[in-house]
Amino acid sequence: MNGNPRLVFSDIAVCNLKRKPFRAGGLIFLVALLSFVLFGGSLIAFSLFNGTDGLSKRLGADILIVPQGYDQKVEGILLRGEPSAFYMDAEWLGRIADVEGVRAVSPQLLIASLNADCCSMPIQLIGFDRETDFVVEPWIRTALPGALSDGEIVVGGAITGKVGDRLKFFEREYRIAAKMDNTGTGFDASVFMNMDAARRAADDFVAMGGSLTIPADAVSSLIVMVDKDYTADGVSRRMNEDFDYGNSGIVVVSAKKIVNNVSGNLRVLVTFVALLAALLWVLSVAVLAIVFSVMLNERKREFGILRALGITRKRLVKLVFLESGIVSLVGSVAGVFLAALLILPFRSYIHEAVRMPYMQPSIGQFILLVAASLLLSFAVGPLASLLSSRRIRRGDAYAVIREGEL
Amino acid sequence: MILEARAISKEYRRGDTTFFAVDRASLSIAKGEFVCIVGRSGSGKSTLLSMLAGLLTPDAGAVLFDGRDCALLGDEAISRLRNTRLGYIMQGYSVLPNFTVLQNVILPHVLFKREDDPYEKALALLDRVGIRPLADQYPARLSGGELRRVSVARALLPSPDLLLADEPTGDLDAESAAAIMRLFAEIAAAGTAVLMVTHDTEATKGVDRVLTMRSGRLAED
Repeated sequence: MNGNPRLVFSDIAVCNLKRKPFRAGGLIFLVALLSFVLFGGSLIAFSLFNGTDGLSKRLGADILIVPQGYDQKVEGILLRGEPSAFYMDAEWLGRIADVEGVRAVSPQLLIASLNADCCSMPIQLIGFDRETDFVVEPWIRTALPGALSDGEIVVGGAITGKVGDRLKFFEREYRIAAKMDNTGTGFDASVFMNMDAARRAADDFVAMGGSLTIPADAVSSLIVMVDKDYTADGVSRRMNEDFDYGNSGIVVVSAKKIVNNVSGNLRVLVTFVALLAALLWVLSVAVLAIVFSVMLNERKREFGILRALGITRKRLVKLVFLESGIVSLVGSVAGVFLAALLILPFRSYIHEAVRMPYMQPSIGQFILLVAASLLLSFAVGPLASLLSSRRIRRGDAYAVIREGEL
Repeated sequence: MILEARAISKEYRRGDTTFFAVDRASLSIAKGEFVCIVGRSGSGKSTLLSMLAGLLTPDAGAVLFDGRDCALLGDEAISRLRNTRLGYIMQGYSVLPNFTVLQNVILPHVLFKREDDPYEKALALLDRVGIRPLADQYPARLSGGELRRVSVARALLPSPDLLLADEPTGDLDAESAAAIMRLFAEIAAAGTAVLMVTHDTEATKGVDRVLTMRSGRLAED
């Protein structure tokens, strides 16, 4: 038999849509576009918020001290995981510690590994001082029963390998003692080891013919924790005053400022996405309302016939909502599915493109985003049908039939 | 009486003037009676029929279906009445293009939930009007006469107490028109009241009663 003779009420809506495939397809495309922007935009924005949150939590330090001219490099390490190596005199450790308001200061030694067998991306090796460190060490103490020995490393979430595996850097093997969760920041592509192990890794690198000159007692950066009664901005200002800013050979970087810069950029992006989504939402409702209204005029005779056959006004309105609901549902699901298909597998490309910390949401957050996007885009169809349904509720059926004949 | 109209009127506005499309029309039809209203185009026949079918509210007077005043019924009740006890054949083609012939015939059954299976009955009705082989065709492939027969089969699906037909033979050839009229006579003989309006006086042969409509006024011949 041609078509399904076993007709049920909802089939009336389905048949009407099927027999106008271009019109139905166009409407579905519009809703799909809306849900694509809504879901895709919010997924990216959410991932960026997660990344910024991760950066703020993982950074730990209030102030970073790096050699002059390397303040941009340190942002690259933190935000984008771009390995870098720079050095300054370790005597700054004592001078910074003496500044009023500094509660703790600890050195870090950075070594860039451009090709490690564990990873498809460049790795940043970070040596830290177990005695003074207040960022990595406290976390290690919660994750590890003992201290981190010379042959052990702590790896970021993006490094391939699990706890107990061995990774080789510059021909020397290290055991993974702990693995951090993904943060969406540069820490994900970092490997932490104690300062002695880091100096030995640098020697290994030179022994392999690598070009690296680390002056004796040099460090790459100092991380500073400010006393709770002081502000990071105030202490940074004092350091710049004390050490002749611009001529001292060091630069004082406010960690808060890095996070704020990222947050600021993010706010601009989120505002743009939100505006675009809102505009598209209003546009979709308006276009669909116009199309449904035009359709209503075209279908007056059809509605009149249904009324003559005994359909109630209420069920006729239900039919109109059913049609718009099907359009909305198919469009919403298609848009969300397509956005997920395009965004989820390409997170590393997006991370590179936006040059900001990027961390995809958890399963729970993801489900929430899907539900919210579906709900908002699904609402478009029924909302757009409101006007048409009001017109259907009014007037005699005969008037509708006669108008449809004109 | 299955249907009674008591001095019903409908007034329309055309430009600055108003006129009565139907002016104090009264009639009554008993079960099994075959009544025909004849009149020229624009005499108010279709307006009268729409008021009798509960599709249009009279400005004055009352329409009683099986003793119940239709004006007092809510939309749910009047729609159910149209769906279950009344067959209405509209003027022109009233077959929905998105559905097959068979789906068009069972459409009234879908609009209100019922327990019985309409398919055998629908196929039997298509057989009765001579278009069963076209059951799976879409209306675009049917001739004018065939479309009219689909409307007739659909109107008969609920086994109505009253069949209202607006120009059912309007654009049919003589043979098709005669077949429709024979069918109506059979339906009436089986107990269904039939009220037909037409401008074709030839179509009144064999009916029980003929009423004439002129300028909205109804008179018995």
